[in-house]
Amino acid sequence: MSHSDTIPLHSTSQSDIDEIENLINSNPSSVLPARPPSPPRASIPISSAPIPPPAFIPSNLPAPTNPKTAPVPSVSSAAPKPPLPPRPSGPGGNISASGFGSPPNTLTEPVWDTVKRDLSRIVSNLKLVVFPNPFREDPGKALRDWDLWGPFFFIVFLGLTLSWSASVKKSEVFAVAFALLAAGAVILTLNVLLLGGHIIFFQSLSLLGYCLFPLDIGALICMLKDNVLVKVVVVAVTLAWSSWAAYPFMSSAVNPRRKALALYPVLLMYVSVGFLIIAID
Amino acid sequence: MDLNPPAGENYAHPWICFFHVVFKAAALAFYMLSAFFVDNFVIIFVVTVLLSALDFWVVKNVSGRILVGLRWWNEINEDGESVWKFECLDQESLARMNKKDSWLFWWTLYLTAVVWIFFGIFSLIRFHADYVLVVGVCLILSIANIVGFTKCRKDAKKQLQAFATQNLTSRLSSTIQSAFTVV
Repeated sequence: MSHSDTIPLHSTSQSDIDEIENLINSNPSSVLPARPPSPPRASIPISSAPIPPPAFIPSNLPAPTNPKTAPVPSVSSAAPKPPLPPRPSGPGGNISASGFGSPPNTLTEPVWDTVKRDLSRIVSNLKLVVFPNPFREDPGKALRDWDLWGPFFFIVFLGLTLSWSASVKKSEVFAVAFALLAAGAVILTLNVLLLGGHIIFFQSLSLLGYCLFPLDIGALICMLKDNVLVKVVVVAVTLAWSSWAAYPFMSSAVNPRRKALALYPVLLMYVSVGFLIIAID
Repeated sequence: MDLNPPAGENYAHPWICFFHVVFKAAALAFYMLSAFFVDNFVIIFVVTVLLSALDFWVVKNVSGRILVGLRWWNEINEDGESVWKFECLDQESLARMNKKDSWLFWWTLYLTAVVWIFFGIFSLIRFHADYVLVVGVCLILSIANIVGFTKCRKDAKKQLQAFATQNLTSRLSSTIQSAFTVV
C-alpha cells in the first residue's frame, strides 16, 4: 500500500476485478479461526461488493479550474444529478482507480499536469469558439469543457485596454467595462434560460466571454491607432466576427421561433462594447 | 473545531501550506494597504482579483488535493446536463492525512471568507461601489471553494460510513457462512 501522492497513477492502479478478488479472498481466511488451514476458496460473500459505475469520467477540470465557478447549481439549469459517490477502494489501499479501462482520476497527478491541462483547455476552447468551423456538426455541443479563466482574462484585458485608451476617468472606465461585461454575460444567459432554452449557465458564461476575444483584438488595435476611420472599420470587423462566433451556440440553444429574441441582446451588448471602443479617446 | 493546531507533528507539506496561505494573505493585505499607497483603482482591482483567482486555483487544484485529499469539479455529460463531481482519496490515505495540514486548510478557508465579508460591509457603509465590486468578486471565489470542499468532505464521510458498514456486513455474512459450514 502506501502510495504517496507523487506516484503517477498508471503504474499502481489495479483494475476493479483484482480488487474484488482481493476482497473476496482475504475475507474467508481472516474469519475462520479454528479450522485447519484450507486453500482459500473463491467463495462469493452474500453481500457482494457492489460495483458502482465508474464515477470518474476524465473531465478537463475547471480549474476551476477555472476558477470562478460557484458550485451552487443555477436554479434554472437542468437539475444536476446528485454527486456520484466516489468509489470505495479495496483493501489493496491504492488510490481509487477507475476500473474497466476508463481513464485515471485526477487526484494524484502532479501539479504541472494540472497546469498544462488547464492551459490546453483554454487554448482549445478559444480555437473552438473564436475560429468557428462552419462544417461543425453540432455547435451546441462545443464548449462542453467550459472554463472561466479565458473569459476572465479577456474581460480584464478589455477593461484594461479601454482604461488605458481613456484620457480621463480611467478607473471608472475600467470598473464600468468590467461590470458591464460580467453582468451582461449573466443577464444574457438568464435571458436564454427564461426563453426556455437549453443551455448550462456556466457554459454560456464561458462562451460569451470567449467571444469577446475579437473585440479584445479590436480594442488593442484602436488603442494603438487613433484614427477614427480606422477605428470604425476595425470595430465593425471584429464586432461581426464576435457575433458570428456567438451565433451558432445561442441559436441552437433556443426554440427556432425565438432565435431572434435570444440573439438580439447578445448583438446589442457587443455593439455597445464596440461603441465604447470607438468613443474612447 | 479547536483554535490551536494539533500538537506533536509538523506540517507534512510545508510548501503547499505556504502557497495555500500566501495568495489569500497577499490579496487581503494588498486590498487593505493599497488604500494608503496606490491611487489607481484599476491596479487595486486587477491585482486583488488576480491574486484571488490564483488562490482559487491553488486551493482547488493543489492544496485541496494534497492537504486534505478532496477534489470537486463540474462536468457536462452526454445529455447536456451539468453534473457536479466530488472525489476523495480512499479511506486509508484519508486517515493518514496530516492533521495539522488539514487544520490549516479549513481554518484559512473559512477565515478568509469572513474577512472579505467584513471588508465588504465596510465598503458598503462607505458607498464605494467599485470596492464592493472587488470584494464581491473575491468573496464569490472564496465561497465557491468553501461550498465545494465542504460538500466533498460530507461526501467522503458518507462514503466512509458506507464502506465501514459494507465491510462489517460482508465480514458478518462470511462469519455466518463459515459458522454454518462448521455445523
